[in-house]
Amino acid sequence: MRRILGLLVLALGLAWAQGDKLKACFIYVGPIGDAGWTYAHDQGRKKAEAALPWLETRYVESVPEAQALPVIDRFVREGCQVIFATSFGYMEAVLEGGKKYPNVIFAHATGIKRAPNVATYMADFYQVYYLNGLAAGALSKTGKVGYVAAFPIPEVKRHINAFTLGVRAVNPKAQVLVRWINAWYDPAKAREATEALLAQGADVFAFTEDTPTVIQTAAKKGAYSFGHYTPMLKFAPDHVVSGQIVHWEVIYIDFLKKVKEGVYTAKNLENVDYFWLLQHKAVEMGADYGVPINPKHVPLLQKAEMTVGGKKVSVYDRIMALLKDMQSPKPTFDPFTGPIQDRKGVVRIPAGKKATLQELLTMEWAAPGVVGDWPGEPK
Amino acid sequence: MRWELDPSPSLWKVFLAYSLFVALALLLLGLLFLLYGVSPLKAYGLLLSPLGDSLGLAEVGRRTIPLLLIGAGLALAFRVGFFNIGAEGQLLMGAVGGAYVALFLPPGPWTLPLMFLLGGGLGAVWSGLAAWLRVRFGANEILTTLMQNYLVYYLVVYLVAGPWKGQMVFGFLYTDRFPPEAQLPRLGDTLVHWPTLLLGIAAALGLQLLLFRTPLGFEWRILGENPQAARYLGLKGGRLILLAALLSGFLAGLAGVGEVAGIHLRLLEPAQISLGYGFTAILVAWLARGRPLWVLFTAPLLGLILAGGDALKLALSMPFRVVDVVAGLLLLSLIGAEALSQRRLIWRR
Amino acid sequence: MEEALLRAVLFGTPILLASLGALLSERGGVVNLGVEGMMALSALAAFAAALEAGPVWGVLCGVGVGSLLGLFLGVFAVFLRANQFVAGLALAALGLGASGLLGKRYEGTPLPDPLPEGVLAGLALILALGLHLLLSRTRYGLYLRSVGENPKAADLFGVSVDGVRYLALALGGGMIGLAGAYLSLAYRPSWTDGMTSGLGWVAIALVILAGWQPLRAVLGAYFFGLLFFLQFRLQGSVPIPSEAFAAMPYLLVILVLALSGRARAPRALGQPFDRGR
Repeated sequence: MRRILGLLVLALGLAWAQGDKLKACFIYVGPIGDAGWTYAHDQGRKKAEAALPWLETRYVESVPEAQALPVIDRFVREGCQVIFATSFGYMEAVLEGGKKYPNVIFAHATGIKRAPNVATYMADFYQVYYLNGLAAGALSKTGKVGYVAAFPIPEVKRHINAFTLGVRAVNPKAQVLVRWINAWYDPAKAREATEALLAQGADVFAFTEDTPTVIQTAAKKGAYSFGHYTPMLKFAPDHVVSGQIVHWEVIYIDFLKKVKEGVYTAKNLENVDYFWLLQHKAVEMGADYGVPINPKHVPLLQKAEMTVGGKKVSVYDRIMALLKDMQSPKPTFDPFTGPIQDRKGVVRIPAGKKATLQELLTMEWAAPGVVGDWPGEPK
Repeated sequence: MRWELDPSPSLWKVFLAYSLFVALALLLLGLLFLLYGVSPLKAYGLLLSPLGDSLGLAEVGRRTIPLLLIGAGLALAFRVGFFNIGAEGQLLMGAVGGAYVALFLPPGPWTLPLMFLLGGGLGAVWSGLAAWLRVRFGANEILTTLMQNYLVYYLVVYLVAGPWKGQMVFGFLYTDRFPPEAQLPRLGDTLVHWPTLLLGIAAALGLQLLLFRTPLGFEWRILGENPQAARYLGLKGGRLILLAALLSGFLAGLAGVGEVAGIHLRLLEPAQISLGYGFTAILVAWLARGRPLWVLFTAPLLGLILAGGDALKLALSMPFRVVDVVAGLLLLSLIGAEALSQRRLIWRR
Repeated sequence: MEEALLRAVLFGTPILLASLGALLSERGGVVNLGVEGMMALSALAAFAAALEAGPVWGVLCGVGVGSLLGLFLGVFAVFLRANQFVAGLALAALGLGASGLLGKRYEGTPLPDPLPEGVLAGLALILALGLHLLLSRTRYGLYLRSVGENPKAADLFGVSVDGVRYLALALGGGMIGLAGAYLSLAYRPSWTDGMTSGLGWVAIALVILAGWQPLRAVLGAYFFGLLFFLQFRLQGSVPIPSEAFAAMPYLLVILVLALSGRARAPRALGQPFDRGR
């Protein structure tokens, strides 16, 4: 009898422990793969799970947009209390799911529409791209910097523009040659686009797509490059200068803690929007974790000079100073501070003004120095 | 010892062959699941789980709709000897046609019929082009239809990134949402857009009648089985092929309209629209053995494999490739079983 | 211009190798639609072996796995006499799927010592020439062609139809395996799920475009490689949308096909051979 009671207590205890766990479920748009967007989200999920003992996570990869709602149905049925949807394309499904399941908490990455139980979040790189642009401008001998880009959407355009503003701040005559590959993942296209840019004289490379192909290709010809999304130093230790690294776990841990503590409920998320940058430690500038600039390239950048407010400073010092500023709780510098004209000469950000969040999220224009096709360019 | 064709296999032999191969496939799958650290029994259960609840059935249904339409058309096309690999592209053309009507023509009660008409029409034009190239220039349609898939892929990217990009989409690659008049009704709160489902069933029935109950169908069957005989009989092979191609393209176009008007409610990045239905439907058509009516059974079967694979990857957090493995193994077992059951072993030379 | 030609050759090489492999078995009457999956699995095998034991083992392993997969297709296409088209499509799905599942642990690891592309490109060219000679000058070539054109007659002359086909599938599979190895050891020295990105289908198309002739396949592969490169080289320098450039290679393939007219397929292509029939 005692044994049975003991078992009963144990079972109850287990059930309690189970019930006490918070179940967060992730919907990924692509395969996890080895680099890029979904991989980074999955890293964030793993780190959050490791950091929060009361957290239980589940995920499903490669969910097409049309299937997001059925997946939400399943997740809710399996007891998910928080659902993270990691692609813009899930917006309608998330909002519909939010209505259907008013007690479940949703968070939508890159989203722009919220509801009482739907928050939005994003870790954005534009500041880091600007800093990398400074380095790229200093390192390019030909004055031509290559940029391999996935799809012409505002996020990618914002990053190309920030990068180009950086390049031009060091070398006002430099060009950023952009090639669209119209795919998030296609190693063959990324490779040949890089080759095409190399053939046109580009000697430094940045990119927005989900593979390290650009880095590997550029390194073969001795060209510098900047990693994207995850640390890519290992793919070309002599040629990766720096890069953009994301820390989704920073947002996930913050969000889930607040859910656990009852700060966030399914009723008060209407105004919860994370647009987290360097100052929130949601993104990092680096060739690898904790390596802002590859030590092999530091001397080159120290030697290179640029003009800031009429004074000559070393590019390295400028990068480090701005990085420190933008990492501080109250940054004073922002790459998208006016006056900024687009490449057609239209004033996009007036003098003394900073781009608003809305302007950042819907950026369609091309910065001066961007060379190449630009679908959706405003007239 | 050698194999020989068995003209009239007994029923129990057919049954035995299928059981053997399906068991073999399940065994291999089970091994794979074990290697992956998952109980095979649990995995099989999940694979069939869509049959057990309304959510799952809705998922099977949603996937069945385009497979039904395309599969019926392909069953006809293959039977006539037009190897249309381009249903994927014809589906996208249908989506383009439907989106044009929905976005740029004044909305009204005529919107949905017009969408189906134009979408199906563009799909037909797209497959008809391949048929014309074959009849006129002898260009192999497997190749031309495959290449056409890529062409329309980029056409859709161009449209959603350029001239058709929506005003309300914050720069992302979508058109605006279709007006209510251009949205298909759905079954309850599922994604099953039933008018397209009815069209699919009608297509399967209609093509079956056309193929087996009309003079045109008789000519089609002769052409498919024996092109030489067809020539002696004075049949106009080119026209017959063109007609079959147009019909299969038209149905794939309808499927495309169904996807955008019933599920997405907008035109979007092409890889998100079609999910490979055009390729899966090839298998639907093959399993149907050139009988459009059988598609009513084979399309839900493939729909179940797709939905079951999804349940598997979701419940066990397995990589999405598990769907491919399941589909590949089951298909191999089905064709293996079919081949085996139609043969017998002879113990002499 | 030099770069464009170089890219034509270096990007054309994996397509060439894969289409030579498919061409070989098709000349013997067996359609191989499983190329994409075979390439994916052998690319993974090559990468894993290269990482553990060095690039030479990588190449051998890729070729070996390709051959085995060719024979696996043979079990269905030759032994069971099943529908070759569907067997190939199923193999493509299975290969892609299995490589994705098995390759998880290799993702994200760069290959320390990649193979030079030029060497493999040269090898591919030699293989194309060799295949041409094999088909036109050797006894096996004669058998293979006769089996592809008229297996019944070949059988009457004492040629082992099944044996010839198995050998063609194994050799062709090896070439497809080499194409996979080229991708994961040289072209983009690392392994990721889906890294074949549809090249297998292009290779199958190329067999038809080349009219089942190995030397024409060389031209076709390089032509496609050139167009693929040019879409990026010319993008932005002329006022044409980038999507139009991306579509260009496929449009030109259709045009060439329409202009070059009727290429004749091996007569027994895709038909299982039954002696009793």
